[in-house]
Amino acid sequence: MSPTPFDHLTGLANKQTSRRRFIGSGAAVAAALAIGAPIAASCSSNDKSSTATATQSGPATGTLRVSNWPLYMADGFIAAFQKASGLTVNYKEDFNDPEQWFAKVKEPLARKQDIGADLAVMPTFLMARLHGLGWLNEINDSNVPNKKNLRPDLLAASADPGRKYSAPYMSGLVGLAYNSTATGRDITTIDDLWDPKFKGRVSLFSDVQDGLGMIMQSQGNSVEHPTTETVTKAIDLVREQKDKGQIRRFTGNDYASDLAAGNIAVAQAYSGDVVQLQADNPHLKFVVPDSGATTFVDNMVIPYTTQNQHAAEAWINYVYDRSNYAKLVAFVHGVPVLSDMTDELTKVDPKAANNPWINPPKNVLDKAKGWAPLTDEQAKQYSDAYAAVTGG
Amino acid sequence: MYLGIFFMVPLYSLARMSLSHSGGSVYLPTLEFKWDFGNYLSAFSRYQDEIIRSFFYATIATALSLLLAFPLAYVIAFKAGRYKNLILGLVILPFFVTFLIRTIAWRTILADDGWVVQALGSVGLLPSEGRLLSTSWAVIGGLTYNWIIFMILPLYVSLEKIDPLLIQASKDLYSTNRRSFTKVILPLSMPGVLAGSLLVFIPASGDFINADYLGSTRTTMIGNVIEKQFLVVKDYPAAAALSMVLMLTILTGVVLYTRALGTEDLL
Repeated sequence: MSPTPFDHLTGLANKQTSRRRFIGSGAAVAAALAIGAPIAASCSSNDKSSTATATQSGPATGTLRVSNWPLYMADGFIAAFQKASGLTVNYKEDFNDPEQWFAKVKEPLARKQDIGADLAVMPTFLMARLHGLGWLNEINDSNVPNKKNLRPDLLAASADPGRKYSAPYMSGLVGLAYNSTATGRDITTIDDLWDPKFKGRVSLFSDVQDGLGMIMQSQGNSVEHPTTETVTKAIDLVREQKDKGQIRRFTGNDYASDLAAGNIAVAQAYSGDVVQLQADNPHLKFVVPDSGATTFVDNMVIPYTTQNQHAAEAWINYVYDRSNYAKLVAFVHGVPVLSDMTDELTKVDPKAANNPWINPPKNVLDKAKGWAPLTDEQAKQYSDAYAAVTGG
Repeated sequence: MYLGIFFMVPLYSLARMSLSHSGGSVYLPTLEFKWDFGNYLSAFSRYQDEIIRSFFYATIATALSLLLAFPLAYVIAFKAGRYKNLILGLVILPFFVTFLIRTIAWRTILADDGWVVQALGSVGLLPSEGRLLSTSWAVIGGLTYNWIIFMILPLYVSLEKIDPLLIQASKDLYSTNRRSFTKVILPLSMPGVLAGSLLVFIPASGDFINADYLGSTRTTMIGNVIEKQFLVVKDYPAAAALSMVLMLTILTGVVLYTRALGTEDLL
């Protein structure tokens, strides 16, 4: 299939957005600095009001500002929520790269200034980091009765036992995607990435956990017990392949357009993205490598600068209703974070309910592992070491 | 006053940051100013490949721009007649589209399965990698394309200022076309050549968009490293030191270049 400019534009718009947002927030920070004293003064009064709203139990009112990844929402979902709750939602797809987002918000958050979001969706490692810094509000369970629908394994996750500060939004698998017309054969192992036939047509994730996880597993190491040695060994292999010219790009979410256009033959990919891309390009395949893959969980969190905690909780509760959530899953094509979703999914989209990458069978789930929570020092050390290879 | 606020203050802050030491907590490091020149040494030793590559790409892009822009500017200034404004308008027209969109459009044009690659492949003109996108050629081509306007316009202005009677006079003195060009037109257009070269070279050497979208893991430029150090690694002193290295190297190059060409009109 020959790519159109629109394929690239839609795929790459994410980066454009994040850069533009960065510039915008820079100006906001500058403006905030200029009027720092009044804001600092108002923050102290905000503290009391946010604590007050946290324990509020009547229906939520006002506006809810949500920051989410691009293409991570179902058509009509927000309108339905607004109708059901009476709240106004200001929904922004301004979360593209976790590290860049953190670079943007860390200064205002450190000063406890509003970051323009009452609820944000982010991967587990970033959620753990914000929680460690004390920048997340506790979620009031009495306002989220549907929390009982959450998968027990996610409820007990070591990153946030009992899910006091985070509410899983969507899960998924990090595996390999390939364009079967470009590869001419099936891809089953990590070694296939290094096949000289695909020289310069392989892309890897620039994120440490998503990029290195499956490579560590292919070297016989575990992501559940990462050490400096095992991470370094994986980085060394990536460096070696990069120097050989095997790897074309290190990507974030922007691998999809290259894969669909045929510039990339094999890519590290997220299961949900590939299921979405398959609708237009049936030659695209997703596979969990024989040596295993990793899972990711994106979480809804409430920053401690939220202006409407109660509305954020109403949103989480709405998402956690199985029939609402089925609409979300049918559109986003992620792995559900709620238990027993098969019935509701079948009602909304029977094809999605039977898709192994949305409703994965046990043998697939057994091969997919989640990273152990890393200490700040570990995370920083691994991320810096990998960034030196990925071009930073 | 404006220069003080919008140039000197950020520059001072960048210089101070580049000499600071980052300590304290991992994600909220405190910067302590302590004349830490180690940042410069480590920035240079770790990223010398990217620094050299950036200047290499920018130099070739500047030379290519000059080669392509000079004939064009010459034609507009001396031969276009009543079509002068139309051609100038057409030259500027693509630049009404944002930089990013124009660069992304090249990804489609240069795609592995695209017609350009197929056409070049059929006549055996493809680089050794067998593709155009994600090669140094694509990055240099992108830099040339994106910045050439800043070469065309100053060249046009300086060529336009040349009195056609001077060329006529050289012809009257039995000068050949070539000697008219080397002895009259070229020396008189030097301010344009110099200004254009600087206007292309300076932004091209700090560019990261072209290397990001048209390049590969082996065409990383120093702009990409600075972007990543600021936004991903968040090692502000290292990023600031790299920015200072880039700025000082360009400044030194500019001073040497203007001295060599001996044009005082510009500085």
